[in-house]
Amino acid sequence: MSAGTTKSRDFHRLTPVWNIAFHTVAGFFALLCVFPFLFVTILSFTDEATLAKNGYQLIPEKWSVEAYAYLFKAGDQLLRSYGVTIAVTVIGTVIGVVCMALFAYAISRKSFKYRNFFAFMAFFTMLFNGGLVPTYIVVTQLLGLKDSIWALILPLAVNAFYIMILRTFFSTMVPDAIIESGRIDGSGEFGIFFKLVLPLSLPGLATIALFSTLGYWNDWFNALLYINTPDLVPLQSMLMRIENSMQFILQNAQNTSLSVGVLQSMPQDTSRMAMVVLATGPIVLAYPFFQRYFVQGLTVGAVKE
Amino acid sequence: MSKKKRSLTTALLLMLAMSLVLSACGGGKSQSSEGTAEKPVELIWYTIGTPQKDVDKVMAEVSKYTAEKIGVAVKMKMIDWGDYSQKLQVMTASGEPVDIMFTSSWAFDYVQNARKGAFMQVDDLLKEHGQDIIKTLDPAFLEGSKVDGHNYGIPANKELPAQEVWRFNKQYLDKYNLDMNSVTTLESLEPLLKTIKEKEPNIYPFALDKNQMPYVPYDYVIEKLPMAVKLDTQDYKVVNILETPEMIQALKTMHKYYKAGYIPTEAATLDSMTDVQSSGRWFADRATTQPFATNLWSASYGYPVVSTPASQATIYNWSVMGSMQAISANSKYPEKAMEFLNLLNTDPVLRNMVDSGIEGVHYKKVSDNVMENLDESKNYDMPTFSLGNVMLTYLNTTDPANKWEEFKKFNDTGVPAPLLGFNFDTSKVTTEIASVQNVREEYWAALMTGTVDPDTYLARANEKFKAAGLDKIMAEAQRQVDEWRAANK
Amino acid sequence: MGALGRFFKDINRNKAMLIMVLPATLWFIFFSYLPMAGMVIAFKEYRYSRDGFLASIIESKWVGLQNFKFLFSTNDAYIITRNTVVYNIFFIVIGLVLAVAMAIILAELANKRLAKVYQTGMFLPYFLSWVIVGYFVFSFLSLDRGVVNQITGWFGIDPINWYSDPTYWPIIIVVVFLWKSVGYNSVIYLAAIMGIDKSLYEAAMIDGANKWQQIRNITIPMLTPLITILTLLAIGKIFYADFGLFYQVPRDSGTLYSVTNVIDTYVYRGLKSTGEIGMSTAAGLYQSLIGFILVITSNGIVRKFNKDNALF
Repeated sequence: MSAGTTKSRDFHRLTPVWNIAFHTVAGFFALLCVFPFLFVTILSFTDEATLAKNGYQLIPEKWSVEAYAYLFKAGDQLLRSYGVTIAVTVIGTVIGVVCMALFAYAISRKSFKYRNFFAFMAFFTMLFNGGLVPTYIVVTQLLGLKDSIWALILPLAVNAFYIMILRTFFSTMVPDAIIESGRIDGSGEFGIFFKLVLPLSLPGLATIALFSTLGYWNDWFNALLYINTPDLVPLQSMLMRIENSMQFILQNAQNTSLSVGVLQSMPQDTSRMAMVVLATGPIVLAYPFFQRYFVQGLTVGAVKE
Repeated sequence: MSKKKRSLTTALLLMLAMSLVLSACGGGKSQSSEGTAEKPVELIWYTIGTPQKDVDKVMAEVSKYTAEKIGVAVKMKMIDWGDYSQKLQVMTASGEPVDIMFTSSWAFDYVQNARKGAFMQVDDLLKEHGQDIIKTLDPAFLEGSKVDGHNYGIPANKELPAQEVWRFNKQYLDKYNLDMNSVTTLESLEPLLKTIKEKEPNIYPFALDKNQMPYVPYDYVIEKLPMAVKLDTQDYKVVNILETPEMIQALKTMHKYYKAGYIPTEAATLDSMTDVQSSGRWFADRATTQPFATNLWSASYGYPVVSTPASQATIYNWSVMGSMQAISANSKYPEKAMEFLNLLNTDPVLRNMVDSGIEGVHYKKVSDNVMENLDESKNYDMPTFSLGNVMLTYLNTTDPANKWEEFKKFNDTGVPAPLLGFNFDTSKVTTEIASVQNVREEYWAALMTGTVDPDTYLARANEKFKAAGLDKIMAEAQRQVDEWRAANK
Repeated sequence: MGALGRFFKDINRNKAMLIMVLPATLWFIFFSYLPMAGMVIAFKEYRYSRDGFLASIIESKWVGLQNFKFLFSTNDAYIITRNTVVYNIFFIVIGLVLAVAMAIILAELANKRLAKVYQTGMFLPYFLSWVIVGYFVFSFLSLDRGVVNQITGWFGIDPINWYSDPTYWPIIIVVVFLWKSVGYNSVIYLAAIMGIDKSLYEAAMIDGANKWQQIRNITIPMLTPLITILTLLAIGKIFYADFGLFYQVPRDSGTLYSVTNVIDTYVYRGLKSTGEIGMSTAAGLYQSLIGFILVITSNGIVRKFNKDNALF
């Protein structure tokens, strides 16, 4: 949204009444979107007894940092889960984007003889899948990935839908002329791809990377299927486990001085909320950064229309 | 052009086929002659419970011992309570290598999976490599856990009947001077719950989660499906439990309690009460007991718990099959697995190592058969009942010396339920059972926890159960029960 | 021989491209095509064999369409299909209208900095998992602690047991879905609006068109291709429900199944409670088939009207 855009829009400005109305609507909706997160944050800072007595309140009678203090003592599971989720997300996104970009680029090139075959092969998987058990067998027995971090990474690495988006992106955004010029310069196919095509396609790749990142960050189902070791339980899966019982994080606390008494004094409800806040916080803080690339990517994609 | 395309397709197909064949070959290793102290065979053992940190450490010790004795090393994998059934289901379906696995009537259903072929039939193995089990175990266990006349698992030697009790958090009983002996029925709980509700607003008067259901004197044909036979039946008539006066009465009372605020408001969606139990924020609940169970409960919660009987001690199919170890159908070393189970159920050294960990690290011995947990035991806190013969385990310092004699007495007092030994063969009604299960998922928890009004919901549930084919299942069950009775006269 | 020779020559000529598609192709083989062979289970009474999965499949008895019968034996099939499709239609229609409206509002706001702030706020829910959204919803709807019952309590309304009363859930589900997705979709449309050639608006101004006429005659028509493509893709997925939305958010409460049970949750629960793999595979196949037919049909219709807007 450059200065130029602003200026060119000025001359058909809204009337003040409508402007206020629009601001109200947009502002209200934005607030609505952020509110639950703020609310849970408030709850996590509520005193446990107050919470039990008064229910969930926007302005609690008594504030407390007990939940965080407690998690600080007993919550090393949280740190471990963070580590797992971050590792899975980063590795998975990189692998996924590379595989998908290469594939999408190849099938976007008219000079590739088998492009229709491979395009169809990808497209077909959007409609049919083999179901849970056969997939499970391939992952655990054929690939031997049970209880391994790769069981969280590989099944989500490639997505036919993203490949289709990328293919459209490549075929509309990368002019043939550029590829031709690369060829005249004597570059090989890979040279052309990495030196000429990729820099042009960053917004598209960023968009796919974002999709991928979100998919990994929010996945819990693969962990449910393939992971037994508490050391490899990712964030979302951990949040699901503590929904009914905080036992899980206590069980896996390194701090062996915790006794039965500590378990009893645990502020259960507020700790749970604090876990949600701690698990969400970083992505909430990081996402405006993603958002910039994302909007850029989409803007470029939309120009083609 | 098209020809080339075809050859490419052929090549791809070939690749597919090859990888399939490769995957098939992976599992087909034949038996070898290893299995000595120097070269022990490794048994993979899946069992239920929250994974413990020191499992591998303890199993290393266990393996040293078993390698010496029977040429076996053990790799134990624990799967958390809530995930066990589902994970094992997928695992057995996919033919993953397992040697021994926990199975029971309430987690990873024994009868169902025995019929599907998940377990190895062990009639002969028991005779050859498990004679000691046959000698040690109360015969009712092996007899009661037969499926279609064969054994597919080794039940743990433990309490045989199931008896329901009302449990109370003693602290509150004492505080308000309440008498638990006045409680005999669900209805007679009311005055106590009322007191607690009024005086202790922050605790749950009647703690229950979605897995609980009121006790009624019936024997269920299949756990948690609404068909049952009355405990004192003469004619063995299979009835819809939701149409019996006892259940209707109980559900009405539950709903009254729910409305009065005695029951946790979210009971119908709560998976477990462990948080409430660990924090002691409850007053009463119902549980299945065994001799000296209150000692166990008090020790694990960290505050005193007392109980009073809520039912007779009755031997059900599900109580006999409450905890079993089965040998996987795809085990490569079934004989070794049976030898191991034999040792586990008869050798106190092995059994206690599996149960309590390493002596001097996780526990210390006070006398010959009494032990005390050390601090490290929190890294190896195993559910005793799920790991074989409990009567071999060392007593805790708080346990009375005659604990196991009491168990045997308790087992003798148990009255057999009418359907003890009968296993419903569902193969003719699988479709209906699947549909009825879905209806049950929809209504069961809400009804049983009193969350919804039985006056309206019972009729609705029954109507849907009938539409899903409950009558057909009941007719089939009736037929099989009658046949079974005729055969066992 | 000659054919084979030509084949290898072709392979050689396309070597670089073939290498490029190789990683993803392997992925497709392992994670899509090999499991797809498992679909035969839908026609089998699946029993375990000690020789592994393949042997189990081969040795299991063919039962024809028996496994599909359980889907249709009660009105479950009708309810889960209805829920899945009707919810998705609501999601698509309301979601589209709201997202486009919000995009236009954001585009028209004079204060660009504030617009950016709003946009960032609206985008937030898209980043949260359903597990977390489930926690959020619970803090509002909990019977004795939830905000909603506290507020209605001020007006003397009896607390509602949200998690056991299906009456309101169709609305709750739709609202939660929109809450999570409208912001994200409006950003996509906003990006498209930003890409519209400004001179079009200038020309319209000179012709004396007011704001509404500009929106109706320029903005919306320019957005149509994007709307069509996104809607088409959504229709293709009309038989797939967002598992988390229908499982985590209502806390898997049984009494709500009449309005929250969708194909995906049904298959999951079926597998969990009965362990009949054949039946759940059958349900999955049913889902795939209908989805396939829908995409082909709707794409065909779009193609008829405007070839460029079609997917393929």
